Amino acid sequence: MARETVEFEDFHTQVAVRVKGFRPVVQRPHLLEGKAGPAIGQKFVLDANELILGRGDKATLPLDSEEVSRQHAKLTRNEGEYTIEDLGSRNGIVLNGLKVHSAILRDGDQVQLGDVVLAYREGT
Amino acid sequence: MSDIFVRFWGVRGSIPTPGPRTRRYGGNTSCVEVRVGDTLMVFDAGTGMRELGVHLLKARQKELTVHLFLSHPHWDHIQGFPFFGPAYVNTTTMYVYGPKGDDKNYQLLSGQMANAYFPVRFADLGANIVARSFAGNTVKAGEVKVKSFGQKHPGGSVGFRVEHGDKSVVFATDSELDQLLTDPDIVKREPESLRELPDDLVAAVKGADLLIADAQYTDTEYTQKVGWGHPRATTVVDLAVQAQVRQLALSHHDPMHSDRDVDLMVLECQERAESHGVELEVFGAREGITLKV
Repeated sequence: MARETVEFEDFHTQVAVRVKGFRPVVQRPHLLEGKAGPAIGQKFVLDANELILGRGDKATLPLDSEEVSRQHAKLTRNEGEYTIEDLGSRNGIVLNGLKVHSAILRDGDQVQLGDVVLAYREGT
Repeated sequence: MSDIFVRFWGVRGSIPTPGPRTRRYGGNTSCVEVRVGDTLMVFDAGTGMRELGVHLLKARQKELTVHLFLSHPHWDHIQGFPFFGPAYVNTTTMYVYGPKGDDKNYQLLSGQMANAYFPVRFADLGANIVARSFAGNTVKAGEVKVKSFGQKHPGGSVGFRVEHGDKSVVFATDSELDQLLTDPDIVKREPESLRELPDDLVAAVKGADLLIADAQYTDTEYTQKVGWGHPRATTVVDLAVQAQVRQLALSHHDPMHSDRDVDLMVLECQERAESHGVELEVFGAREGITLKV
């Protein structure tokens, strides 16, 4: 039997509209906000399954800093969560003060790439 | 020489604790992936192992070999095994390690899949699952050397040291260090002073680039939990200091501890390391992060 469904881009799932106790809401995207360095004050809406952070032409999320590698890190969306992964950059990824190779991001995390500091804000 | 990659899949102690108050550090119980080149080692089979299985199956490797090391067979260290997807696939080989002449780990891992507890029988799993023993206290997983050492815990537990080239990672959970102090009274007499631990334990951890350690209790909580098999987090710092460890991951977070509580314990432990005048990086183990050692 065909059912009316609503698809949630972030969660790759479908939920029947008439489920009791459930009301579809407008999805707000996850964001990265520039907190220090050259990206200060900038907001980056995370709206793709894969994004490349870097200062090169191939970066889909460009960061204008010599301390950021051309392809510094990759953001991958999986079931509504973003994972950040080092692409072999010179200065690495520092998550809340800890150098990591990769991490699933959580609301409020501070991510540092060279002199660029970004805060991760989860949408709904 | 390959790097060592360490990924945390479960960092909670005792029982899974999902929910908003534990979302950042995570609610799954003990499971850590350690990878060196193509060699995949898994330390503990707590509920975090389910997500690891999902991750491995997505990679669609033709053949998969998993070296599984169990600190001990208490629930929070084996419960994820029946939900580990690759165990159901006939292209997977799993080696389950235990002490020489003792296949207790293998038996208890399979025993939890008895019909009264779980609907799928161990014998029906598709993977080739083989019990392996340590020869003495050392074994080779691929080209990687793994050493084991005994710990203080009700029923016993084992710590592991992974060595590759000049790098080393120690996995030491469920270890009541405070029961091993050479001078137990020092905690009351001089709480700020270094709490000395036995030489053999310090040697097992000596110079590790990363120590992943059970740090379940605050000093206050520990007084009510003596003999339960877990240490004061501050005593773990003292072990790391004596062993000249580079990085300390506090793990086996108490199920009653929220993310905020863990943050405060990490802060307290960082301050203790500083008070001892050493450069030790202390952080809280958190699900979903990977470190390159």
